[in-house]
Amino acid sequence: MRLTDLPRTTSFRLSLLFLALFGVASTVFFAFLYWQATSYLNSSVEHWIQRDSVVYLGSPGEIVQRLLTHDERDPDSWRPFGLFDASGRFIAGNLRALPERPVRFGRYFEYTLQRNGREVPFRGAGYRLANDDILILSYNVNEISGFKRLLVDAMAWGGIMVFAVGIAGAIITGLGAVRQINGITSAVERIVTGNLSERLPTRRGAGDLDRLVSLVNGMLDDIERLMCEVKGVTDDIAHDLRTPLTRLLGGLERARRRGASREEYAKAVDAAIAETKAVLGTFSALLRIAEVEDGARRAGFTRVDLGQIAADVVEFHAPVAEERGVSLSFDTDSPSLTQMSGDPSLLFEAISNLVDNAIKFSPAGGCVAVRSFYHQGRIGVAVTDNGPGIPASERDAVLRRFHRLEKSRHTPGSGLGLSLVAAVAKLHGLTLTIDSSYPGSCVTLERDQPQLGIGGPAVLAPAAASAVTASPAIATAASASATAASATASRVGPEAHRVA
Amino acid sequence: MTRVLVVEDDAQTAAEIAAALGDHGFEVECAHTGQDALDRAVADRYSAIVLDRMLPGGIDGLTVLSTLRGMQVDAPVLILSALSAVDERVRGLRAGGDDYLTKPFESLELTARIEVLLRRRSVPDRETMLRVGDLEVDLLKREVRRGDHTIDLLPREYKLLEYLMRHPGQVITRTMLFEEVWSYRYDQRTNVIDVHMGKLRRKLDEGGLPSMIHTVRGSGYILRAPD
Repeated sequence: MRLTDLPRTTSFRLSLLFLALFGVASTVFFAFLYWQATSYLNSSVEHWIQRDSVVYLGSPGEIVQRLLTHDERDPDSWRPFGLFDASGRFIAGNLRALPERPVRFGRYFEYTLQRNGREVPFRGAGYRLANDDILILSYNVNEISGFKRLLVDAMAWGGIMVFAVGIAGAIITGLGAVRQINGITSAVERIVTGNLSERLPTRRGAGDLDRLVSLVNGMLDDIERLMCEVKGVTDDIAHDLRTPLTRLLGGLERARRRGASREEYAKAVDAAIAETKAVLGTFSALLRIAEVEDGARRAGFTRVDLGQIAADVVEFHAPVAEERGVSLSFDTDSPSLTQMSGDPSLLFEAISNLVDNAIKFSPAGGCVAVRSFYHQGRIGVAVTDNGPGIPASERDAVLRRFHRLEKSRHTPGSGLGLSLVAAVAKLHGLTLTIDSSYPGSCVTLERDQPQLGIGGPAVLAPAAASAVTASPAIATAASASATAASATASRVGPEAHRVA
Repeated sequence: MTRVLVVEDDAQTAAEIAAALGDHGFEVECAHTGQDALDRAVADRYSAIVLDRMLPGGIDGLTVLSTLRGMQVDAPVLILSALSAVDERVRGLRAGGDDYLTKPFESLELTARIEVLLRRRSVPDRETMLRVGDLEVDLLKREVRRGDHTIDLLPREYKLLEYLMRHPGQVITRTMLFEEVWSYRYDQRTNVIDVHMGKLRRKLDEGGLPSMIHTVRGSGYILRAPD
């Protein structure tokens, strides 16, 4: 934006508009003032003329005598009075000739006379006497005109100054706007050319433009984060897909080069099929995450029991845990209180991923505990293990697609499990928290339970109590959970306490 | 001979499906448009139809399906689709489909599912006793015996066995087991089902009896009476 664009800026135009409005308003104000002042001054002069006219007209016989006396008293003729006959010839007084303007009797008029080489203004009135003579009474109004001139001059100068200041102000604000727009424009140009970390300049004010700028900057933050994620994901995809594809290609080429027997070919084909399946699996996992994040799966929501699904997951994984020598347990303090609306398969898959991970990373002899809970208006599922845990610095990163902790690189898996869990959690309004301290970690999926939220604990307490007394199995589970929870509390701290 | 109609617009994919089904012993015909599929299915009786969801030429898979159902063609239909969303599956099944398979799929998965669809039509569901070789499942008492030896199974193991016993000699894939026995639907990629099957197999074969559950290379199981 160049300086010639100044008149096009909104602030400049606004300043000019206000300047014009102010100009009109002050002109009207001045005109009123002028009119009031001059009519007041004129009326005082007219008052004097009125009084003189009463004296002169009251005794017509003494007019000439009075005029002679007046002439003597007023040698500078500041108050030119004159008596003329009907044809306008001078008779007496210190006004020697009729004013050039035609005299209108009974009305005040102004005229000028030469005094010391200057035009001097006078205000007067003419009277026709009974004998048709004309009497003119007038006063010098030089001071009044001087005052008027002063008033007009003051107004003119004031106007000029206001105009100058106004124009300067308009230019300054306009320039400020131009400068900010220039800053924004060049920042945008830099962003467009690829520098996504660039932000629009802001003047840390609360102006409308600043609000817009901070809004756009917030949007840019989001875009930058998303771009980073996309870039990260692309890199990861490139890595995680290129590796099996390279192996696939290598295997096929080797088979063609030296595949001698039918068996060797069959082996190569089997290997190729396995690699292709792995690649397809990774792809479909990615697509599923995208689909879940898209929210399209909400169409398949039904009424589900989170605790029941968690129990199914535990039952499903039990033989694997047994095989690996990991103890896998499930308990709940709130049977059938964990109802919510959701997609059962997705929830099963998400919890299954968590349990699968926990079993995979638990040492032999370790234990994985799954609990479903209803506590203070929140329902959820917590998966606790005593595996290696997740370092605090990595907790956000593990939710990223393809992210795998360095030490788990050798374990099979796509690294997509937790990002699917995060996506499913988000779809269901569940909060995913990862608590971890060496050894062990506790992953919790939880959310508010709206329909039971009001007076929840009061309603819950007798229900839970009756459930405990009704079923000895649950009673044992509950007491086991209490000891497990206290054990967890001592290990994980306040978080586990909150979950319990 | 079992005749299957494959409706798929991509010639290469159609040929692959036809080859897989042909290798399995089915007689296969292909249709590449919805109109072609309708003409063939109405004129001729097929044992099963494999129907692609997306077809060119105005008549898509679901339209073909509902038209066929409207014309009393009741051959089992397996819908193929690149759309995996749950509501797509629900729409497919609601239109009269018997099963739904998402692309890409393995040929074993396709043939196993068609086999089950064909058999479902022929075997009545009212039996109270399932028998394969010397293995018996009493559906009323929920009791499993091999020879004169009673076998204790966990509820889930019982359901697995019951499903296999209903389809003896047929390949049942892991995905089918997972959907049928656990009633959740997604592509289970862990080996957990293998572990379940391993436990079941050990219980059935206890005492050195010949194995009845066989692993099919790829991703399935088959229950057969020992020779």
